[in-house]
Amino acid sequence: MAEAAVAAGGRGARAGRPLLPAVAWRNLWRNGRRTWLTAGGIAFTVFLIVFSMSFQRGAYVQMIDNATALLSGHLQIQNRHYVEDKRVEQTVADVSRLVNRLEGQPGVESVAPRVEAFALVSAGERAFGAQVLGVDPERERRTVRFFDRVAEGRMIEGMTDAVVGEVLASNLGIGVGGEIVLLGTGKEGGVAALALDVVGVFRTGIPDLDRAMVAAPLAMVRDAFGLGDEAHTLVVRSAEVTESARLERQLDDWLPAPLIARNWDEVMPDIRQGIEIDRIGGYFVYGLIAIVVIFSVVNSFIMTVFERTREFGMLRAIGMRPGRIVLMVQIEAAFVWVLGAAIGLALALPIVLWLQVYGFYLGDEVASMVESMYVPARLHTRMTPVALGLAPAVMLVGTQIAALIPSLKIRRLQPVTALRAEE
Amino acid sequence: MNNDAVAVCSGVTRTYQEDSVPVHALRGVDFTFSRGDFVSLTGPSGSGKSTLLNILGGLDRPDSGTVSVDGVALNDLNETQLSDLRLAKMGFVFQSYNLIPVLSAQENVEFIMQLQGVAPAERAERAVATLAALDMADLAHRRPGELSGGQQQRVAIARAIVTDPVLLLADEPSANLDSATTEDLLRLLRRLNEERGVSVLTATHDPMVMKYAHRRVNLRDGAIVEDSAADGV
Repeated sequence: MAEAAVAAGGRGARAGRPLLPAVAWRNLWRNGRRTWLTAGGIAFTVFLIVFSMSFQRGAYVQMIDNATALLSGHLQIQNRHYVEDKRVEQTVADVSRLVNRLEGQPGVESVAPRVEAFALVSAGERAFGAQVLGVDPERERRTVRFFDRVAEGRMIEGMTDAVVGEVLASNLGIGVGGEIVLLGTGKEGGVAALALDVVGVFRTGIPDLDRAMVAAPLAMVRDAFGLGDEAHTLVVRSAEVTESARLERQLDDWLPAPLIARNWDEVMPDIRQGIEIDRIGGYFVYGLIAIVVIFSVVNSFIMTVFERTREFGMLRAIGMRPGRIVLMVQIEAAFVWVLGAAIGLALALPIVLWLQVYGFYLGDEVASMVESMYVPARLHTRMTPVALGLAPAVMLVGTQIAALIPSLKIRRLQPVTALRAEE
Repeated sequence: MNNDAVAVCSGVTRTYQEDSVPVHALRGVDFTFSRGDFVSLTGPSGSGKSTLLNILGGLDRPDSGTVSVDGVALNDLNETQLSDLRLAKMGFVFQSYNLIPVLSAQENVEFIMQLQGVAPAERAERAVATLAALDMADLAHRRPGELSGGQQQRVAIARAIVTDPVLLLADEPSANLDSATTEDLLRLLRRLNEERGVSVLTATHDPMVMKYAHRRVNLRDGAIVEDSAADGV
């Protein structure tokens, strides 16, 4: 008869395998509605956090990319003294050779040397202070997208060409075809003077640039300010903006003193701070959501432990150690987590991956509002291991703690008292 | 000391507080339970029979006095050691069966052996053999909810004896069974006692249970008032 039972198959014949996980799994379905509700809370949290973090991460990368691509580049190489005190004579020397050598460095895509100076820009009776950039148009085009922002006219081509910010042009009362005169102080302390033809007007959406910047050919600005093969900044574009920090360390080791490499987050600390504040705010909200859901899991397991007090008493009576009963409840919590995390990820992943490819258009109105914060009109999510793994990991720890809190009662449970409990 | 003693109580007292009123469940009980005994603990409700059974099973602790099972003093053991002792030396049969509802009959019987660390193949084999010995082989795959009360109690007995305990403790095992099933169950316990040498201590106020025991210990107000050989069937 015994052999017949084994040969009969079915649930009895599967015996012999580890029973604790089997008991834990089947226990979940004694109250399937509660299990699904608990798993649903975990799934919602995982979905929300994975999606939001991917969205945030995508927005940050695009913001950084937009901000760095406009003018500043992923990295900048400067004379250490120029960083501390922006005097016109604190330059990077021997620029032509350095640019060639830099472009041979692994990870460097392109390099654009710039001269930066302050000058009084006048047209007719009007005059305003502005920053003058001496640029190499070809190299700039390979490194940043500044010239894409020329809204009227064209980019710099000839030696006397200049492009000016839209607000500055308006303040000066000039447009394309107008003439401006730049007056500043040269490297040796003499007067730097330059007459230029306005061939283009740019509109970046960044008030400081549109109101107070003029770009002119590098050679002309060098001549006017008494500079030789020198520059104040070498703007570097790396293969990926996410690689720029690593490239900064690499170049810092390689560059001769007093030159230093500065990553975008040093050059534009306001962008980094904005991202950090947003990230912290995000974590705060995610934390609150996770805590609320974890409390619901605690509640669920308090009910579970309460309803099964008598059963736990029986398990204690037949010789199951309290620790193993707690382990069984923890396995149940782990199974609920597996269900919830799997559902949450299954819902989040297709949406995140779809938005990573196709993006989410903010609409013209919102896009123009957020342009000055370097936020693009079409946002793309970005799936990262942290975005994918953080929420499930937090919820795993949370559900284990949530189950452990009521489980501690099991350790103190007196079998004889538990066996008298109502079912 | 009786070398054949499985369980010995000496001067055991136990007092509960119920609504701040002390209830003296046991008042200095001396009791020796020998190997191969089939003893019924009898007495009216509140006489202390379940308390004595629980103390012998290490489920409750006496306020004073000593208890030993198979030579091990229970007073000196902590909760984990008591769990291990119960697992190794005792089998329990409860009034309301207390099977694990999500496991089949065979899995319920196997579960206790898994706690003991018995290898999977061996525990499956022993579970099937034990259920077969109790005429439950055909129902081995059913869960408790799919079994009658008598069948569940047979599974509970299979779980209790599959580990070859020195002591089988049964608290009102027939309370939820009809008389035919009770008779059937008692014959089974008697057979296990005689053929396998299982020592059975059962708390009951069912006269039919008393009829099957070899020895009757009658308690009243927490004290043994009668300890005599029973007629047996």
